Amino acid sequence: MSREEEIVKELCDRFPFLQDRIYVQKEKRIFTKELSKEEFEQVIAFVHDEMGFYRSHHVIGTDEGDNLGFLYIVSGSDNILLILREIAPKSNPVINSICKLYPSIVLHERELVDLFGAVVEGLPEGPSYPLPDNWPKGNYPMRKEWNPKYLNKDTMTYEPPQEKEAENE
Amino acid sequence: MSETDKNKVVIPIGPQHPSLDEPATFTITLEGEKVVNAVIGVGYNHRGLEKACESRTYIQDLYIIERVCGICSHAHSTAFCMAIEELTGVKVPMRAEYIRVIVAELERLHSHLLWLGTACHEIGYDTMFMYTWRDREKILDLMASYGGNRINYGVNTFGGVRREFDETTSSDIIKTIDELDEHLKRYMEIALTETTLVSRLKGVGMLSHEDALNFGAVGPVAKAAGIGYDIRVAEPYGAYKEIPVKLITDDRADVYGRTVVRILEMQESVKIIRYAIKNMPGGDIAVKVPRRIPAGEILTRVEAPRGENIHFVRSNGTDMPDRVRVKAPTEANWHGVQHMLKSGRLADVPITIAAIDPCYSCTDRAIVVNSGDNINVMDWKQLRQYSIDWYKKEGIDITALKL
Repeated sequence: MSREEEIVKELCDRFPFLQDRIYVQKEKRIFTKELSKEEFEQVIAFVHDEMGFYRSHHVIGTDEGDNLGFLYIVSGSDNILLILREIAPKSNPVINSICKLYPSIVLHERELVDLFGAVVEGLPEGPSYPLPDNWPKGNYPMRKEWNPKYLNKDTMTYEPPQEKEAENE
Repeated sequence: MSETDKNKVVIPIGPQHPSLDEPATFTITLEGEKVVNAVIGVGYNHRGLEKACESRTYIQDLYIIERVCGICSHAHSTAFCMAIEELTGVKVPMRAEYIRVIVAELERLHSHLLWLGTACHEIGYDTMFMYTWRDREKILDLMASYGGNRINYGVNTFGGVRREFDETTSSDIIKTIDELDEHLKRYMEIALTETTLVSRLKGVGMLSHEDALNFGAVGPVAKAAGIGYDIRVAEPYGAYKEIPVKLITDDRADVYGRTVVRILEMQESVKIIRYAIKNMPGGDIAVKVPRRIPAGEILTRVEAPRGENIHFVRSNGTDMPDRVRVKAPTEANWHGVQHMLKSGRLADVPITIAAIDPCYSCTDRAIVVNSGDNINVMDWKQLRQYSIDWYKKEGIDITALKL
């Protein structure tokens, strides 16, 4: 059994809900399928505290249609990347920060707030990142529905066609 | 306000950088000369490259990705090409993999030489700055000769490389790195014996082994704290699977350690290039890759000069990606800088920041001006007007200048 398969087995034994929802993609890559906020928090705490996944590489935001996806990448001394996929509905995109486990994740979690409109609870106070201060509120540029051609850079307002049509009427 | 707080002074530095020509803010709280707190503000030029990639074809994206960074452009294009090649199941010819490694190591050489010069300039050692940048020019000339450009060489393409590697290129590279190897020995000797340099860098910008792990440091910053983390060794890719790479580490955990690591890494790069040229196999330099990329998602990583470089690509079966995410090494090292600055001295702030070899792009955003209890946030236009008015008061009207 490869080290990757051992990790998958250990996680499935500890968290039965991961059965058929975690897989070895290739050497040094383990992905999970979509995990709810509660499921994700249990797994990330366990791999950090009990399995030696001490290094946080990144969290990648994705647009999943009606949901937002968050791919957390962590690894340990054997350099196997474990990618945990948390999911939250766009209508209520609330997730908890994992910066107490991984202090280096803060900048990346701030990015989820600015670019995807995620509500990351537990983030320490600090400057937002990376959008400018005069960026129009409620605009999350990495969501698929957001189109850069409707951003008026002179007034810094976002004017999609339907809003313009409504104004004309 | 307590008596202790009265003794503290807050100095806003930036967004123009105290040491490099790139923007970030460093809000430094001082107690005398000692830094007791540091807050870093970045994000002054988020260029939206990832969003741009989603509305362009993969081959167009390759040119965008190469421009994520001017110094480690090849590292980014390599990681992106690897992602597309894995998604399509294409096997890159070994000759192309060797060429990629040679270019990557030449890139590491010119990146570290640039850093060494800049770092020496920060501490007033401009002789060394001149020497290292002279050597860097020779590497850039090689890149221009082979790739057609000093940076953004455009060597990589999906399935291999775009240019054949002929005898003249090989002999030019060998000649240059032989000369450089001699110079590197001299630089190492200077680094070990030049008392001004040693005393100026030792104990400055400390980031312990534990803190480097905690804050997710990568590249020479992590290696100088005794962390043997190098993607060429941890997860060998391309021709690194065949070429021996010696892992460089140091246990000093300060700016001096980062300097030693970079010089040793340059010496190792010279060895890797020699090995790659000597053992480069024959054959094709590229294979065809389909325009439409099968649906899937992939995470690749390479060792850029500054450390781990991660690329995530999600494809949807079309000729445009669904999601591209690039994580450059500086993103990983920022958290450590904040920690390094604390307990240091104000005079060491520039060299401490420069020691991670920060890389972030230009274009301003906003500045917070502290004036008593009132805090005014100025946008770019206001900041520009403030600057014009300030110079007018000094008797200089820059608006009257005809350029």
